[in-house]
Amino acid sequence: MVRTSLLAAGFLAALATFPALAQAPAPAPVPGWAVGRPEGSTLAPHAPRLTVTPPDQVPVGALRLPPGFQAEIYAHGIPGARMMAEGPNGTIFAGSRAIGRVYAVRRNADGTTRTSIVAQGLAQPNGLVMVGNSLFVIAVNRVLRYDNIEANLDNIPAPVELTAAFGLPTEQEHAGNHHWKFASLGPDGRIYTNVGVNCNVCETDRDKFALLVSFNPDGSDRRIEARGVRNSVGMAHHPVTRELWATNNGRDWAGNDWPNDTLHRIRRSGEDHGFPYCSAGSADPQFNAGRACSEFVQPAALLGPHTAALGMRFYTGTMFPEQYRNQIFIARRGSWNRERLSGFDVAVAHLDAQGNVTRVEEFMTGLRDDANQRFLGRPVDVQVARDGALLVADEQMGAIYRITYRQ
Amino acid sequence: MLLRLLAAALLAAAVPEMARAADAARGADLAAHRCVNCHGDNGRSQVPGVPSLAGQPADFITVQMILLREGIRHAPAMNPFAQGLPDRDIEDLAAFFASLPPGPPDDRTPKDEALFAAGQALTGPRHCATCHVADYGGRAQIPRVAAQREDYLVQAMIGYRDGTRAGVDTQMNSAVIGLSNAHIAALAHFLAHLD
Repeated sequence: MVRTSLLAAGFLAALATFPALAQAPAPAPVPGWAVGRPEGSTLAPHAPRLTVTPPDQVPVGALRLPPGFQAEIYAHGIPGARMMAEGPNGTIFAGSRAIGRVYAVRRNADGTTRTSIVAQGLAQPNGLVMVGNSLFVIAVNRVLRYDNIEANLDNIPAPVELTAAFGLPTEQEHAGNHHWKFASLGPDGRIYTNVGVNCNVCETDRDKFALLVSFNPDGSDRRIEARGVRNSVGMAHHPVTRELWATNNGRDWAGNDWPNDTLHRIRRSGEDHGFPYCSAGSADPQFNAGRACSEFVQPAALLGPHTAALGMRFYTGTMFPEQYRNQIFIARRGSWNRERLSGFDVAVAHLDAQGNVTRVEEFMTGLRDDANQRFLGRPVDVQVARDGALLVADEQMGAIYRITYRQ
Repeated sequence: MLLRLLAAALLAAAVPEMARAADAARGADLAAHRCVNCHGDNGRSQVPGVPSLAGQPADFITVQMILLREGIRHAPAMNPFAQGLPDRDIEDLAAFFASLPPGPPDDRTPKDEALFAAGQALTGPRHCATCHVADYGGRAQIPRVAAQREDYLVQAMIGYRDGTRAGVDTQMNSAVIGLSNAHIAALAHFLAHLD
């Protein structure tokens, strides 16, 4: 601190020595995240809640579901809980962003759950995936593997460090933008994840950022699965066709209603989905660079402007009615870069036999209060539990809901 | 490490399962023992490098204390004070400091009009007031920067720029990207001299 204040004094002295510099600092570049931002806008990200929310304040009673479905609190007291993975013995793991923790949720004999902390102090450990008995945690560029995790929950051993093997871009290379990960295990045994764009919207290295990528679990053989995907924080493979599908967050500061967040179907590895030239199938107002949007893969579905479509899973259970089988549940965390709130719900994308999206409908609502323009919670991920229930992580409430169906 | 994990788990389990409002009076008692030596009796720091907390939004203090407790934000002088603090204490401390009237430190440097103007000129292109609001009083998780200690503002912005500090979202890291030390000095001078 003393050193820093001495440095500060040094800068001030330097400025005094060069009065021209003091009077007219060279114009600093507009930061990438603010490109296109209109003068006078006061939109800013919503404050997170990083303290424990008592269960009687978790708004499970406000949730609205189709007839026959019920919601209950599965776990609580896990601030900032986000992306989930289920171990072979039924432990639900949940990552986080700001609070830097990975949680474990275990079920007691009486059906209640207990929570514990697997890891903490990590930079945005949002990407979780189970490979066999091993839990992989991806925290920005850091990749950790916790072997035989469910047998060691009460005495967590040091993880295997795979950071160098994966070689993901660092937080600095991302310039603080879209560096948190989602992780999924492909039917080919590879780990699939995202590398978000290093700005809001910009010309960037399209072999390095705005990608879906896959790796062998040891970090070798990186492969670009999709290019021009701005920031995907949700992906899964279709249980029948084995195609990769992914959600994507559209750019900010291009208006309340453009672009939509999108759902992407990756038929072949390496295809270009168009960002930054095109978003949601139409030309970017600043970064189109004369490209025809028809030359890029079109989104499989539009998911609403600024809804923050994040974690997604195909419903592979049997508890829910047949119409939900192999359909895509999508958690929409909810907007900040929009004058009226959008999202804050769980949606379902219905597919036909050819794998085309026929419609997107709301499934779990009640957290967005349109009349008062406030929200009660922020769904960030869904997970199909082994019993067919749908788990929904609410980051704002530090809770996981369990949705079941009874006729 | 293991002990810390266990301690954190026990603390999490020990949080009373009932609704409660943050208690500023209790926060004042807590602060008297551990905070005011550095942050000032009235929440206005007289110590170089230590921020004033008076009038900061409660959400901002809470969130930063969590980041300090969890070791996500590195401040060697501060991390030990945050370590192991229950959520309840943090929320009460936040309510206390948020309730204090904000103001400049006693040792604020004289205002340099040219430097002030240079800093002010940067706030437009950098959209500072969008989040910190027009009077730079902050809101929710976004801090009050008006009349903050100039040396602290320099240190914070350098930390965000150089990636040694992260917020709860990444806006601030990208907000200061590409700023020179001279830009930061000018911005800090401008903000420190707002009342």
